[in-house]
Amino acid sequence: MDPSKKPLGKIFPFFAGICLLLLPLLVYSALSSPAEERHGTLPAQNMTFDHNGAALFASYAQAAEAYLNAASPARTLPEYYARRQYGGAPPFIAHKAMDEPSEAVTCLACHEKGGWTAELKRHTPLTPHPEKSACRQCHVPQTEAPLFVENLWLSVSPPKLGRAYLPGSPPPIVHSLQMRENCIACHVGPAAVEGIRVTHAARGNCRQCHVPDLFQGLYERTLAK
Amino acid sequence: MTVNRREFIKAMALNSAALAAATLFPGITFGAFQGEETAAGSIEWKKTPCRFCGTGCGLLVGVSGDRAVAVKGDPACSVNKGLCCVKGYHSVQILYGKDRFTQALIRKNGKLAPAPIQEALDLVAAKLKESIAAKGKDSVAIYGSGQWSIADGYTASKLFKGCIGTNNVEANARLCMASAVTGFMTSFGLDEPMGCYDDIDYADVYVTWGNNMAEMHPVLFSRMIANRKSRTHVKIIDFATRTTRSSQAADKSILFKPQTDLAVANAICYELIHNDRVNWDFVRKHVSFHKGKTNIGYGTEDHFAFTDKEESSDFEEYKRFLGDYTPEKVEKTSGVPAKDIRYLAALYGDPGSKVVSFWCMGMNQHTRGTWINNLVYNIHLLTGKIATPGNSPFSLTGQPSACGTVREVGTLTHALPHGVVMNEEDRKMAAEIWNVPVANIDPKPTYHTVEMFRALDRGDIRFMWIQVTNPMVTMPNLTRYRNGALKDDRFVVVSEIYPTPTSDVADVVLPSALWIEREGFFGNSERRTQHNERIVPPPGEAMCNTWQLIEVARRLGYEKQFPWPREKYIEEIWNEYTRFHDSPKHRMAPYAVLKERPGVQWPFVDGKETKWRYNPKYDPAAKGEDFHFYGKPDNRAWIWIRPYEPAAEAPDSEYPFWLNTGRVLEHWHTGSMTRRVPILHKAMPESYVEIHPEDAADLGIVHGGNVKISSRRGAIIMKASLEGRGNPPRGMVFVPFFDEKYLINEVTLDAFCPISKQPDYKKCAVKVERA
Repeated sequence: MDPSKKPLGKIFPFFAGICLLLLPLLVYSALSSPAEERHGTLPAQNMTFDHNGAALFASYAQAAEAYLNAASPARTLPEYYARRQYGGAPPFIAHKAMDEPSEAVTCLACHEKGGWTAELKRHTPLTPHPEKSACRQCHVPQTEAPLFVENLWLSVSPPKLGRAYLPGSPPPIVHSLQMRENCIACHVGPAAVEGIRVTHAARGNCRQCHVPDLFQGLYERTLAK
Repeated sequence: MTVNRREFIKAMALNSAALAAATLFPGITFGAFQGEETAAGSIEWKKTPCRFCGTGCGLLVGVSGDRAVAVKGDPACSVNKGLCCVKGYHSVQILYGKDRFTQALIRKNGKLAPAPIQEALDLVAAKLKESIAAKGKDSVAIYGSGQWSIADGYTASKLFKGCIGTNNVEANARLCMASAVTGFMTSFGLDEPMGCYDDIDYADVYVTWGNNMAEMHPVLFSRMIANRKSRTHVKIIDFATRTTRSSQAADKSILFKPQTDLAVANAICYELIHNDRVNWDFVRKHVSFHKGKTNIGYGTEDHFAFTDKEESSDFEEYKRFLGDYTPEKVEKTSGVPAKDIRYLAALYGDPGSKVVSFWCMGMNQHTRGTWINNLVYNIHLLTGKIATPGNSPFSLTGQPSACGTVREVGTLTHALPHGVVMNEEDRKMAAEIWNVPVANIDPKPTYHTVEMFRALDRGDIRFMWIQVTNPMVTMPNLTRYRNGALKDDRFVVVSEIYPTPTSDVADVVLPSALWIEREGFFGNSERRTQHNERIVPPPGEAMCNTWQLIEVARRLGYEKQFPWPREKYIEEIWNEYTRFHDSPKHRMAPYAVLKERPGVQWPFVDGKETKWRYNPKYDPAAKGEDFHFYGKPDNRAWIWIRPYEPAAEAPDSEYPFWLNTGRVLEHWHTGSMTRRVPILHKAMPESYVEIHPEDAADLGIVHGGNVKISSRRGAIIMKASLEGRGNPPRGMVFVPFFDEKYLINEVTLDAFCPISKQPDYKKCAVKVERA
């Protein structure tokens, strides 16, 4: 949408001006990053989000009120991204881990229900996909070993916060939903990352207000006579 | 996955304002927007009901200058208590689509061309007169909807029924709520629910009958799951023909074969009686038994006529009738295991448990829609679970003022603001309040909606004025009715805000002021009347629908009936209209009270709202000690003997699939407003056909691949969705109808309930092929 067409643009010309001034910067950042993942219609992850919705309702029903409303500043967004190679990548294991756990239960003992860990002095983050039990298939521990060869990898910036379409309106879902369809796992409770923790955890029907924002383009009538 | 850079830049630009803000102030959320308020003057918050569904959420619209810039839920409104859904939060953006109609259009040489609005109104009045002179008063018609403000519908009814003298007044609510109305009238003698949304906070069990509330009434659904969270014994049972988001949330999802809800409802009553779960004290004091005609047809032929004939019955006959509906027999018809039928009966029958049944289009858009409404009431009446907090058979509505404008004002062919045209006393009352001779009001109803569009096709109707609805997307068996509207010698006037397939067939388009661009009233599902003032100005020459009607009425010579000044016509209409409802059974709140509050529930008597009707503890019209069903002459609620009868068209070897149609969370009705809201369109840009993965595999259909759906009436090609938002059982496909590019109603069947005349959009037979 053109900034001048947004209601805000008209009300806050000053702000719109800054937006325009900033546009080259945006274009630059777009060009300097590798392509962001984009989808046609009916993307698979949207489908998963819809299809596995029962888990979301169950998490809400099972989480204690005290948990839903608890907060902690321990985890931050920069730290969260630092543990992933790109938005949506599986994070590495950031603590001392057993060599080869044979059972998912070892990881899930902490990462399914969460809770305080005295060893790491923080709340344990929850996995959004506890039904997947071969944890080490994707999540690996890290050693201190120096790199074999330096890598020139770059990725796009993570999604910006504050993408509500109107002042105060619920922001759309800006990330891929594949294996991350359980909003409550990451956006609620003391283990949630500060900055993306919701302010209204007592509401359980997340998808009532937050919808995926994955498609390009605005509506245009194609059949007008 | 790759994307070229140009596309990417375009995508970046789409989010420009918010994105730029985020870049400027890392970590910004909407808190920063509030910071801007002081720079540009503060935002003023004004109350209004939401523009979309029948829930009737209270909104506060943030206004800056003459623009609506934000929305929040109104914490003072008991409907939603500060919460909205994604459509409500972005509702103000429907005002600002680039292709808003801002001037009138008149068709000249086949093309719609701009014209001054006064010239267009002159033409509308001239064509009305011309048609009445040449073909009689019944050659003109008006078609509105539950999106009409109460003032619009009242003015339309007064002009057409009172002044012109034709009963050709219908509304989209016929396609949406008519079976709910006939259900209420036959069971209770008065329309609209006895309970209210507060029932959710008292009930122990919610049963959703063919009703995907998680998407269609999300704010009420949220209230249900919040209740289940805080009161952990609370259960949600989803009883439906397809697996949906509501099934995901439910404690139990029970699937039945299309149309067999009739049999299951009777089987539940069989079980209640068989296991002695009848509330005898209630039944003896407050219930009587009745039966009507059977084998009543489907209305697919022109000039179809049906009148039910009521006969009184008794408990013994009812019990014998239910002998055909044992759980084992019904399992064979419905596909619902006998143990699940017994489970449902046990939930309803538990004397210690309070039950709410919710339904909407699944039961109303049904060729036996009146019957299934009656049958669910039967369950609540046998158990006495009605008209007390938490015990509530609750018929939801789909449009913001389906109750307020269509059902209460009576914008249907047989109805008047109070009563029906067939009743002489009701005609006298209307004539007196309307200041017209009583002979003006025709005692004979004319056409219900489907028959009205058939009459337009046949040429019995020559002039039709369509306001605030989109029948060229919503009519079943659409091709016939579109061709009818396009015939020579038909004059179609469309009052609209955006171009739609309906404005495409118009001879005149009148630009309408939308929602908060004019003062008005809506009435929601729970008897709540909600007022909004004119919050922002309409664009260009756009004009309030009520005022359009008044302008034309005055051109037809009815100045005396429409004398109201433009500064306060809405208030004066309210004062005149509410004279129709001046009794303890239906008294409406005064204008001044409505202006102050985020909605008021009627009956409003001695300054008090009524939350539960028919219960003397709450209802000023009810007498006696426990219940008083004063709508019926015997002061009882009626249990009806209604059998299972099959659907009008069922799958066969040539057309082996059921076709079911409906909505999605993001889009409302035909999408003409919501598709112009960026966040909603980007979340759900086009329609699709849901198909069971095993059916898809058999037919070689893949997710996203093209599918051809054809019926005896038409065919469309669209993309397949496998294991997506909803999941139909084998042998069924489901298509959302919001997308004008894929007009699924060219495929649907125009069969309807013979009593309510409401079409069945949920059941017809189609062929499904890879395309």
